[in-house]
Parts: sequence; structure tokens; C-alpha cells
Amino acid sequence: MASVDISGVKKAYGAVAVMHGVDIPIRDGEFVILVGPSGCGKSTLLRMVAGLETVTGGEIAIDGRRVNDLEPKDRDIAMVFQNYALYPQMTVAQNMGFALELAGRSKAEIKAEVEKAAEILSLTALLDRKPAQLSGGQRQRVAMGRAIVRHPKVFLFDEPLSNLDAKLRVKMRAEIKALHQRLKSTIIYVTHDQIEAMTMADKIVVMKDGRVEQIGTPLELYDNPANLFVATFMGSPAMNILPAIVQDATVLVAGVATLPIVAEAAPGTKIAYGIRPDEIAIDPASPVKAEVIVVEPTGSETHVTARLAEHEITLVSKARLTLAPGDAIGLSFSPDKHQLFDAATGNRLAAAG
Amino acid sequence: MTLFSQAFRPVGSAKVDPVLIALWVSLILLALIWITPFVFIVFTALKSNATVMGASAFMPPTELAFENFAAAWWRGNFSTTAFNGVVITVIKVPLGLFISAMAAYALAKVPMRMNKALFALFLFGTMLPFQVMLAPIFRQVNAFGLINTYPGIILPYLAFGIPYQVFILYCFFSAVPKELSEAARIDGASHFTIFRRIFLPISLPVLSALLILDFVATWNEFAMALVILQDPKMWTLPLGLMSFQSQFSSDYGELNAATIMTVLPAAIVYLMFQRYFVAGLTSGAVKE
Repeated sequence: MASVDISGVKKAYGAVAVMHGVDIPIRDGEFVILVGPSGCGKSTLLRMVAGLETVTGGEIAIDGRRVNDLEPKDRDIAMVFQNYALYPQMTVAQNMGFALELAGRSKAEIKAEVEKAAEILSLTALLDRKPAQLSGGQRQRVAMGRAIVRHPKVFLFDEPLSNLDAKLRVKMRAEIKALHQRLKSTIIYVTHDQIEAMTMADKIVVMKDGRVEQIGTPLELYDNPANLFVATFMGSPAMNILPAIVQDATVLVAGVATLPIVAEAAPGTKIAYGIRPDEIAIDPASPVKAEVIVVEPTGSETHVTARLAEHEITLVSKARLTLAPGDAIGLSFSPDKHQLFDAATGNRLAAAG
Repeated sequence: MTLFSQAFRPVGSAKVDPVLIALWVSLILLALIWITPFVFIVFTALKSNATVMGASAFMPPTELAFENFAAAWWRGNFSTTAFNGVVITVIKVPLGLFISAMAAYALAKVPMRMNKALFALFLFGTMLPFQVMLAPIFRQVNAFGLINTYPGIILPYLAFGIPYQVFILYCFFSAVPKELSEAARIDGASHFTIFRRIFLPISLPVLSALLILDFVATWNEFAMALVILQDPKMWTLPLGLMSFQSQFSSDYGELNAATIMTVLPAAIVYLMFQRYFVAGLTSGAVKE
């Protein structure tokens, strides 16, 4: 267990800079998730922490010790890969014990460690199998077991659940979270799935184009996104963003809806008005009218995509709706639940929202 | 009857497929063409010289003349040539494969500035027909004073065997996901450990395939051995066979018995490893 300090880290391939100075402080025992779209640099950053990629600039420190130039094996980390990377010719037990064997530990010690980890992960019955004889979820657990036996200071996970089917992913999500609570170890976890990030992380780092957009707890990011990118990236379905113009104490949204706001913006300023789908309700009495495009029932709730002026918006309703495409509906927006962003920069406006 | 009729039908179909019949017929014809020389050799090897001259070549022998084998062994000096063949093959084949595997691993998995240029050099090596190089090689081996020695023949064999093996193994190693070696690096393995503990075991099928090809090629090699091994005490089996033919050209029974004894070890090795051979030739060709 250890803290990890990533400060001013840069990465360039030749003349092409892909990471432009990233600062992420990680406390001892924290579960940190790096999330962002493909190509945002989250995996590259994780691989730099692992020592699989060189650091072009800045510093990475594990437990206060600079590790920039250390070999992966000397950093006291363990990594779980997306494709598991199990050694195909070795049994589960050999896979898990390989690192200890290379470290020159005794056979009895290795056996004890492997059995302990196997028990934590319910792999005891599978110790003599080869990876090819295991299911995807079992392979994933072996990959985690390989990490656990080493008692590393930091666990690194690189999209470990992406190759699993949806149901298994939810199960493994809970298992990894339970594992973290049990081992109390520092974890850095990379995913492109914001639901994984929301459900598991102590702290989420949202990245885009080699920069950190925002760092915070899951609910901080959900409730107070720093900018339009974070606002639309976190939460599913995504937040609705509509163009708006500030008026005296109100804002004219999409040219059709006049809504009350308190914003530190001069009247006439063009802004982006954001509201989450569950903060929009269907209200026949509302003067704001929209046309239904798609209705998606999920069972517990219904997602409705509708056209408001020329903009598409999504709303989520707990009620069972009997709507058909083409129907006209009235919309009411929860007051004070909106988030306002500068239309030009995308940054959040200091607002009583 | 059922087995026969099944062969002509696609699986799960009741209709006889004319294409399948045509394929079977051509397969059987091809097999016959290939097996004819073997039948000739085996039959002739078991006939006395008088019968060879008197009867048709494809008549089965009436009296089995096993003494041909004993005579051929003695006259062809097989104890010497077989011993030389075994020494050369048993040193050259594993050594060549080991060097090729290490070179291929370095080219495929160790980042170096010259990787591409070095690989191109190996590729160039596969393109040189070695007949072209016979004269220069003879001069070079002679200059080193290695004519009529084991190193004198093993070194050129290595030089001509390695490029092709490096090419095949490079393709195979390149297709191995990089996470596998990265996981091993994090586990604390050096490049040599990764090579020995991870890459060698997973490339066993390819190595078996290369082993067969190389064993057969080395065991049967003639031209280079003819040039470099001039002392009959250093001859390999194919050279022994050649002298046999000129010395005892009238005795076809013994000549064919000698041929069988020459080919047999290669055939046995081939049969032992051939199931890997088929799997090995396709693995690594397609990225998963």
C-alpha cells in the first residue's frame, strides 16, 4: 500500500505530444479511476506508472520514491490487463506463483500465497487447470490472483472488464470493489465506461486529449462538473445541453423556453444550458412543447427522446408512459437543477444552480 | 459400404456430391503416383539381382532377399556414414533452432534501433540459392582449414538454415500479444527468462515443424556435403549412397536396400512430429 504522486507528467512520441502535463495525487488505499474517451491518454498514463512506457517529462513517485527510471519489477506494482495476459502453457497455480518463483521464494511459501489468493477469489478448485480451460470471468480472476499474491504497493487495472459480457461485468465490478475493501490497497483503474467509474471509484479522474479535465468523487463530478465535457461524459443517458441566452432573471433556452436562473452573466450572453434527463418531467400543462421521436422502455424507467425546437433532448421517467413517436408533449424543467456553461469556453459558470 | 458412400456426401446431406467424388478420385490418383517409387524401391530392395533383371519392376518379390540389407550396410560403410550423419544432424538442428529462436525473439520483442535493417538482412538470406554460394563457401571453409571436419559442414548448414527459421519464428513471435511479455516483465522476468519460460513453451508446435523440416533437409543434404566432406571417413549417408551406385551399379537390390536405410530415419522423425507440423505451419500465420 502506498501513495502515488503523478506531477507534471508529459508524454511525447517523437515530436508528437500526447500528454501535456498531468497532475494526479493519489492517497494511500485510494481507489482511483481514470476515465475518458479512446485516445485520451488514460492507458498510456497507467502504463507509465507501470514502467511499460517511458516518461517524457514530469515525475511519478510511489510512496514518495521517484520511479521514473525504475524497471517495472522494481516499482512494486502489479497489473491486470484487458486481455488477461495469462501464460497459456502454465496452470492457474503456476500463473499466480510465477512472480514469487522469479523472486526466489520457497515452494512452500509460494504454495501458501497462491492458496490464500485462490481462496479470496474462489479459484481453489481451478488451480490445476490451464487458462484455455477457463471462462472469461475465471481468467479475469486468475489475472487478479496473479496480482494479489505479490502484495504490491499499487494495483493497476487496464480496462479489466471490457472483454466480459454485460452481466458478468456487473458481477466482477462488485467483486473488485469488495476486494479493494478487503485488501485496502491503492488501486489505479482505467476504463472508458463511466458507469464503472461511478460505481467503483473513491476518486475519478476525467481525462481528454492528454489533459485532466476534472478530479473528484463520483457524485462531485455528477453534481458539479467543471465543464461541458465532464458534464456530458458522466451520467447515462448524457446530460442535455441546449443553447440559451441570458435575460434579466431568466434564460431563454433553445429559443422557446423561458426559465428562471440566477447566473453571474450579463443579459444577452450566449450560454449552454445543461439539465440531466431525470430533471425533465412530462407536464401537459407546460407551455414548452416537444415532439416525441423515440420511446425506449427499460422496465424500471422509460427513456424518451424528443425534439425541442431543432434540438434533440432526452428525458427519463419513472412512470410507464404510453407515448408514440410523433406525439406532442409538454415539458417542465426542475428549477435549480440546471447547470450553466460558458458557450465559448465550455467552462461552468459560477451560478447558484 | 456406408463408410464409402458417406465419403461422397457433404455432412448432413443425403445427396452424393459429384465434386467430392472428383476430389476423391484425384486424391487417390495422386497418392498412387507418389507411392509408386516407394513400392519400386521396397520391392527391388527385397529381390536378388537375378530377379531384378529377370522380372517386371513392379512384380512383388517371390523370395524375400533380406541379405541385401546386411550386404548394403557392410559394403556402403553405413556404420561410418550413419554415425557422421547423426553427429552433424544432432548438433546442427537443435543448435540452429535455438539460435534462430533467440534471434527471432530479439528482432520481434526487444526494441532496438536496427531491428528493421537486421530483419531485412535475414530475409535477404532466405533469397540466396545456396548452389550459387557453393564455390565461395568451399574457398572460405578451406581458408579456415575446416575441409573434412564437422565444424566445416555444420557452420555453412547453420548459415543457410537460420534465415528461414528466423523468418518463420519472427512472424510467430510478432503475433504474440505484447501484454504477455509485459505481464512477465512486471512479474520480474528478464528478457532471457521471458524467452525461455514463456516464448519457447508456446512456440513448441512451430519449433517441432521447423525441427522436422530441418532434420530431413540436413539428413538428406548432398551438394554441400559433397564439396566439403571429401574424405570417405567423413561422408554422410547421401554421399555413401552415391559411391554405392557407381561401385556396385549392377546390384540394384543392394542399392535400393541402402536407399531405404538412408531414408528411414528421416521418415521416422517426420511421422513422430507430423501432427505438430500441420498445426505449426498455420499457427502464427493469422493474428487472433
